[in-house]
Amino acid sequence: MFEPKPQITLQKAGKKFNLNLARKESALFRCLNFFSSKDRNKDEFWALRNITLNPRKGSIVGLIGKNGSGKSTLLKMIAGIYQPDEGMIKTEGEIVYLTGFGQGIMPKLTMKENIYLIGTLLGLNKKEIDEKYEEIVEFSELKNYENSKIYQFSSGMVSRLSFSTTILCLKRKNPEILLIDEALDAGADLSFKNKALEKIEELIKGGATVIMASHDLATIEKYCDMVLWLEKGEVVKKSLPAEVIPEYIKESQKNY
Amino acid sequence: MKEKIGNIFNLSWHLAKVNFKLRNEGSYLGIFWYLLDPLLMFLVLYAVFSQNIGLQINHYPLYLLAGLIIFNFFSSVTSESASIISSNSHFIKSINIPAESLIFSLLFRNIFSHLFEIIIFCLFLAYFKLSVLGIIFYLPLFLLLFLFTAGISFILATLGVYANDLNNVWRFILQVLFFSSAIFYQYDPSITILKYNPLAIFINLNRQAFISLQKPEISWLFLILVSSVFLIGYAIFTKNKQKFAERI
Repeated sequence: MFEPKPQITLQKAGKKFNLNLARKESALFRCLNFFSSKDRNKDEFWALRNITLNPRKGSIVGLIGKNGSGKSTLLKMIAGIYQPDEGMIKTEGEIVYLTGFGQGIMPKLTMKENIYLIGTLLGLNKKEIDEKYEEIVEFSELKNYENSKIYQFSSGMVSRLSFSTTILCLKRKNPEILLIDEALDAGADLSFKNKALEKIEELIKGGATVIMASHDLATIEKYCDMVLWLEKGEVVKKSLPAEVIPEYIKESQKNY
Repeated sequence: MKEKIGNIFNLSWHLAKVNFKLRNEGSYLGIFWYLLDPLLMFLVLYAVFSQNIGLQINHYPLYLLAGLIIFNFFSSVTSESASIISSNSHFIKSINIPAESLIFSLLFRNIFSHLFEIIIFCLFLAYFKLSVLGIIFYLPLFLLLFLFTAGISFILATLGVYANDLNNVWRFILQVLFFSSAIFYQYDPSITILKYNPLAIFINLNRQAFISLQKPEISWLFLILVSSVFLIGYAIFTKNKQKFAERI
């Protein structure tokens, strides 16, 4: 049978960070450390270890886990913002990385200026943004605020604006890879969330491979074909949502 | 490749416009500060030096202003570049943008304000009844200054990610450069520090072009120096840029 080539391949990928403790930053510490070679590697911290993943084209992978379990780091690594320190990551095609925390929004600019700024950051030129501008404003339902500055917006409005602009400023109609980092968890209300999910479904139907991190287990269960449960940077379980989610809930309640 | 360069250019240009706008946000004089900054500095230096050091120099006001304008471009770009990556961390950490465009946007924004200063300078030339034709020689000179400044900025931006102290160190170095670039006193190539200070050479070449209307004599050594500063700076920057997101 014909097997489509995976668009994302991770092989034993890992990411480490150097913990910059305050004492380590001081000049005195650096001088002392320069002469003594011990404990130089002590403050390393592996945010992710040994992640192997190659989802089928068009599949939806959910990422669950506690805060600090490595979900965002994994997505940022696939998006190319972080480089892996071990293993390898290969991606093919256009990547869209969505987060719910108002990525790239400048509070001192108006909504209109922000749309053009984000559009440009995503690689569009002015003409291409002109064409999409009306649609973005309409989708965000912020028609009356076009010329207001962002610092006066509520966090829900910012998250709506950020999502609408990013999702509608796609370079091509169908991106190959869609990475969603709690994009719908922060601030947006239910009706917008449903609308946004519809939009994402559209992209999935267009053939995108999706990886989404979320704390909203109902959404994960509904959409994902496979769930990756991360804990302290390592995979606890990788399986169907119906198998992983109940176990994850049980584990979380136990700790509580 | 061509698309990528177009992309970087487009993004840099847009960021430059945005930051130009943001800098004037909430200030009463807004865009006039671009004129006032160099003019005030000029007035101070002119008041102090015109009756002593300045007496031996032809067209001292023009001599002084040309020096200030060139130095101002270099210092305003480089003084910001040491912290440019960390002050734009919200972009670097959430969108995979080409980091070079932050440096180029800084350069472009300062070209806007540099243009204002050049216009003032041309008005000065007209006032002293000198020809403004020297501007023809100025364009290639500016291209060299642009490359040199970009190279230094790339190096500073990369180092600035690893050490915050660089800002203070660089501010001090800029001050040293200001006093050792023959901005308000006579340029004399027999003084070693002036002979080897690239900024002093830039300023002198520009004066030759603008005030004496001579074709500037650029030595091969100087050309090689400028282009290698640019290439080395760019190489250092691109080699390290993938590590920026996790360092800031």
